[in-house]
Amino acid sequence: MKRYSAFVLGAVLATAACKDNPVANPENAPTTDAIAGAITRTSLQTLAIGVLAQDRTAVTSTFTFYTLSEIYARDAYRIDASEPRYVTETIGGQPDPSSFAGGGGWTAFYTAIRAATGLIEGLPNASTSAISANENKASLGFIKTIKALDYMRLVELRDSIGVSIQASDPAEVTPISCKPTVLTYIAALLDSGLTDLQAAGNTTVLPFKLPSGFTAFGRNYGVVSNIILFNRALKGKNDFYRAISRQGGQPALLATAIAELTQALGGAAPGAVPASQFTVGPYYVFIPAGSEAAPNPIADARLGLNPKFRDSIQAGDTRASKIVSRSQLTFTIDPRVTTNITYVGAVFSAANQARPVGIIRDEEVVLLRAQAEIEASQFAAATADINSVRTTYGLAAIPTITSITEGRSRVLYEKRYSLVFEGDQRLVDLRAYGYLREPYITKELPADPFNSAFPIPVGERDARGGDFACQ
Amino acid sequence: MRAIRSFVMATVLVALCGISAQAQTRQVTGRVTAEGSNEPLSAASVNVVGTTFGGYADDQGRFTVQAPAGPITVRVRRIGYQQKTVTVGAGSNEVNVSLVKDPLQLETQVITGTATTVSSVNSANAVAVVSGEKLNAVPAQTIDHALQGKISGAVISQNSGAPGGGTQVQIRGISTINSNFQPLYVIDGQPINNAGIPNGLNVVSQAARAGTTGNFSSSQDQIVNRIADINPNDVESIQVLKGPAAASIYGSRGTNGVIVITTKQGRSGRTQFDFTQRVGRSQISNKMGPFYCFKSAQEVTDFGFTDPGLDAAAWTAAPVKCRDFEEDLYGSNKSIDYQTIASIRGSASTGTTFFISGLAQRDNGLALNDFYNKQALRINIGQTLGRLNIKANSELVHTLTQRGISGNDNSGINPYTTFSATPTFFDFHKLPDGSFPKNPSVAVQGNNPLQVADQLKTPENVYRLIGSASAVLSLLARETQTLDLTLSGGIDAYNDAAKIYSPATLYIEQVNANPGTIYNSNGNSLDAGLRLALAHRLVRSAFSATTSGGLNQARRELDITAITGRGVFPGVHNVSTATQSFINEGINKVKEFSYYFQEEFLTLNERLLLTGGINFERTSNNGDASKYYSYPKYSASYRVPFIPKMVDELKLRLAYGKAGNQPTAGKYTFLTTLINDGLQGARPSTIKGDPGIKPERATELEGGVDLQMFNGRTRLSVTRYRKQIDDLLLQANVAPSTGFTTQFINGGQIVNKGTEIELGITPIDRHGLQWVSNTTYARQRGLVTELPVPAFNPGVGSFSTRFGNAFIQKGQSPSVIQAVNGCKELSASGTCSTANRITTFAGDALPDFTMGFANDFQLGPVRLSSLVDWRKGSNVINLTNNYFDGGLLGDSAVGNQRLRDFAAGKAVYLEDAGFVKIREITLAYDLPRGLRDRLFASRANKVTLELSGRNLKTWTDYTGLDPEVSNFANQPLGRIQDVTPYPPSRTYYFSVRTSF
Repeated sequence: MKRYSAFVLGAVLATAACKDNPVANPENAPTTDAIAGAITRTSLQTLAIGVLAQDRTAVTSTFTFYTLSEIYARDAYRIDASEPRYVTETIGGQPDPSSFAGGGGWTAFYTAIRAATGLIEGLPNASTSAISANENKASLGFIKTIKALDYMRLVELRDSIGVSIQASDPAEVTPISCKPTVLTYIAALLDSGLTDLQAAGNTTVLPFKLPSGFTAFGRNYGVVSNIILFNRALKGKNDFYRAISRQGGQPALLATAIAELTQALGGAAPGAVPASQFTVGPYYVFIPAGSEAAPNPIADARLGLNPKFRDSIQAGDTRASKIVSRSQLTFTIDPRVTTNITYVGAVFSAANQARPVGIIRDEEVVLLRAQAEIEASQFAAATADINSVRTTYGLAAIPTITSITEGRSRVLYEKRYSLVFEGDQRLVDLRAYGYLREPYITKELPADPFNSAFPIPVGERDARGGDFACQ
Repeated sequence: MRAIRSFVMATVLVALCGISAQAQTRQVTGRVTAEGSNEPLSAASVNVVGTTFGGYADDQGRFTVQAPAGPITVRVRRIGYQQKTVTVGAGSNEVNVSLVKDPLQLETQVITGTATTVSSVNSANAVAVVSGEKLNAVPAQTIDHALQGKISGAVISQNSGAPGGGTQVQIRGISTINSNFQPLYVIDGQPINNAGIPNGLNVVSQAARAGTTGNFSSSQDQIVNRIADINPNDVESIQVLKGPAAASIYGSRGTNGVIVITTKQGRSGRTQFDFTQRVGRSQISNKMGPFYCFKSAQEVTDFGFTDPGLDAAAWTAAPVKCRDFEEDLYGSNKSIDYQTIASIRGSASTGTTFFISGLAQRDNGLALNDFYNKQALRINIGQTLGRLNIKANSELVHTLTQRGISGNDNSGINPYTTFSATPTFFDFHKLPDGSFPKNPSVAVQGNNPLQVADQLKTPENVYRLIGSASAVLSLLARETQTLDLTLSGGIDAYNDAAKIYSPATLYIEQVNANPGTIYNSNGNSLDAGLRLALAHRLVRSAFSATTSGGLNQARRELDITAITGRGVFPGVHNVSTATQSFINEGINKVKEFSYYFQEEFLTLNERLLLTGGINFERTSNNGDASKYYSYPKYSASYRVPFIPKMVDELKLRLAYGKAGNQPTAGKYTFLTTLINDGLQGARPSTIKGDPGIKPERATELEGGVDLQMFNGRTRLSVTRYRKQIDDLLLQANVAPSTGFTTQFINGGQIVNKGTEIELGITPIDRHGLQWVSNTTYARQRGLVTELPVPAFNPGVGSFSTRFGNAFIQKGQSPSVIQAVNGCKELSASGTCSTANRITTFAGDALPDFTMGFANDFQLGPVRLSSLVDWRKGSNVINLTNNYFDGGLLGDSAVGNQRLRDFAAGKAVYLEDAGFVKIREITLAYDLPRGLRDRLFASRANKVTLELSGRNLKTWTDYTGLDPEVSNFANQPLGRIQDVTPYPPSRTYYFSVRTSF
């Protein structure tokens, strides 16, 4: 028996000898525990980049912001035999809130907003030894500006349907607010950011490193004075659309918008912004390979431009270089659209996958100011701003415009060719002017719709227990 | 922990100390033969009733057992024969027993714990048993294919016709929404891994859309579950514990049932050598076509084909106007399938028993370069050393699979995507200069499916070692009691190296920014376990009691690394040469520990069996990793003594048990790391974790009646069950505007109720003709009875509610399909706007019932067996039709109407997917002795010639390729999406089986 005792003992010990703490560490990724506690300089760097990276993800992860908005505005097509919904749920029919065509451009912005909110709420408790009071305020002002940018995009894509203003408590589902409420909220958020930036002092530098998109395009947005320019550009844009909104528009805000946009341009008078400054601004930079794997989503072999985009360009406009020919794309079911041109940045190449895109560059700010000036009937100023753009692209200056209607048509032309595929501005402008209809744009078949906004995604609707109206 | 150790030590010590002098015994010898033929029956088990004494017959059928003085009763059992008891008088020490054949398998041993079994005559659970012989009646590519139609209550569906597996097994309905839904597989005591590792097809298919730079692999990669690796020819028997009532011993892995596989062991006696050679062919069994064929050049122009090469002139020039694209591609592989199986079974003079087997197999896909290769080697040995019995089993498997391209794609690479847009006068075939014609009808890609079949390679190499060893120490072996200590352990380790080589020469690559793609992944999986069990058996004349307990330790690790390269020079298979490369890794580690106690009490002349047991388990997957969850079970069975004359046996049984389903995620809120211009960033994940997450708890009550009649010629088993799952693991959707999209919670309840009937009859058994018929029937209904969150689309893989998707709502079946079906108000043009669409519950993914019909006819040396699988009801969403509709589908009037109805808000792509399939047919002929001796020089003792076929014929209303289809692998819900799948095949085999 004795010779088996060793076996018995060994067997018992081998099986029972397990550690009392069997927790396998989450080796795939860090958890939120890793950032619990006060924000440090290191964690601020990581969390701030988290907000910026998520903001970039939000405009690229679904096709909504860059591609579908241009398709809604009928300047672009995306023709793909294996995915007809780029046509059938944009210009050929209604977007389905349960599919990518109708359900995008929502969640990722709110994820960025949640990340920004976490940082905004954590910063006041950060240790002052690691982050100075001025640096803290500068960071707050910067992150609030980015958060406002995400809300602006949400409301641009949803328009009168409304969007939710996220609560501090992650478990709280807030009602869907109507557009005027949201625009007012954004204005307040930007002003609150401005207050923080002013408290930080013009020369204060952000205590974290920014992606080169915020530093390498003519202006370093790591310095508070420049963050203020960014903040005011967004505020001016927001106030302009608040002023002309067909839901509770406040024309009085036109003057405010003009002042803010002028401040964003460093005080330059109408027509005084040099062409060299047009490309200055904050940008998204794209790194297509490696762990980052964030390509520019516009580099897309299935994209084409509506042939009307080429047909409408004025002779001598050097922006015609943005239009290049491509192999024919034909959509074989109704509406049977076809094209053989595309945007130069859409050509599917490694270079285009890495091509930066402006967030709000000075050329857009100049044209936004022109839009505000037109609505305020400041036609000379508006003409000066428009002509500063026209002459840059080899076009003759126009005589002073004589009506708001003429002004809108003039500025829309410039914005169309200056800012093609730089976001949803054309959709936003056509809609704001009430031009999302014939004869301003043309539909392919009589039964086709002019879609003006994206629906609330089905996931949001279901979580709220069904349909609802904004409040 | 300390308490458990003390318990074990105390039990062992008591047992060791309890040994005392043995009582007076005698030896009884005898011989076991088959009734009628008088052939000796080896390996029959012989037991002296009322004692622990027993033994086995040798290959001459002879046995010797210890027996107490006085008259005794001896029970003799053997698989394939009905058991028999005989009495031996006090004065006699010799007994001969002849056993009657048992074609209905009335009696087997079914497992009740890690170290205990019970005769099926007494079993309180409906345990399905499939013998190795039945499993391998017709060659199957993989073991899961071989099980189709053989287990009542299990819905076993092939994902597509692609070679090499990819099958989902769902037992007794849907028991989970977000956790593991497949049964646990256990081989020779060791739980094995059934993960499915994506092969990276998404890098070329972009089925999950972000395939250019992220999401390199996806659940749409036409994944193979790794159970496919197991060599079915090594299987002695498979037992299916269908639910918690039987599987509580497996704790938080038992909810979905447990498939317990026992491999063949060596046995004492003459060495037996078996050799089987099979050759076969597979061919496409259903097509989407014929596709539309243009009748004139004008028609081509009218349709709108104007591209050079596809215009009216091209139609005029085309030598063949109506090509069969499916035949061009899926009829292109003319290779021969084969299986070579050899095994040796016996024992050495040292007493070592062995079973050694080898397998070499090649199954060809329908398209060129698609195949499944498998080589397997198994060595099972056993040795008794005094009181110690040692067994070691090991299997080494290599599989190499190339499954080609099928399933959803967003790149246009799938053959059916291309076929749906190409007119049939276009010729895909290779040109004399070796190039392939560029297909102008799909302008962006120019995709040519024959070029893809020729140049795209998708090799997936798996090397796998499954090994287990056990040592049973007989601490006590007395007339009335035994005590055995079992230590066993095992590992299941494999490396799955999947690669995709998509050369820059493919038209599909030439549209990429960096043409030429390589995906190179390595999945390393390890499942290991160590188990200790102590089983005490006490036998008295009035009762016998088995007390057992034990400890189990397990760890599982899965680590998948993948590198994707873009911009690779044609012909180069080295990913380091890529212009752009991307690296991904996923790690998963789990540790578990459990201990259990069980008592089985058999009394009233072996008529009443009472069982009780409890299992305590903790796992690192739970929120609280050190908390033990308990899984009890109780059961009773009673063989009714007073029964009519024609009834041999009537058993009533009732079993109750709990099991769990452990969370596979949800414990943590992770930080999602993001990089922006090379700077590291992080933000909270959109999935909110729950630090208190716990296993789903399933409670099952199962009751039934087993009836044997007419001298074992009829067997009827009826089972009803109610399985209730509480604390469902829900990945509940939250409003995305909160910044989170989903949240892990425990909550809600599903109740599944069902009926399973098995009827076995032997209608004819005379004059050498035997007909054995087995029919199975199963029906189940599930209901979501509680849901603490708003009704939701689990979002596990679906396309749009317009087509149909899974939906979880209180009061509905968990497998219900939600779809747009109806319109409040049609527009003037007959379309339905988004706002007017009516979303309804339009179908169900699970069948109303399933039936299997197995019939075997034996007339002398000729045997004919067949298996028919009937699935009534169930729905599939046929998106493949949507690819063709409005375009080039053969019957374009039907397609156009469907498209109009779809626009008007009708769920036209949701189809009834019920079917009747002839799964298996075999015609076998045993060579007569004379011929056999001449051919094999008198060495062979059995030579059988077989003609067999698998999936020969399907009857269905389904309009797609195959109603058994899933674009998504490894998810409990919403799998029923038919998106341009690999077409199904029928397979014919000719086999020669010899035994020496």
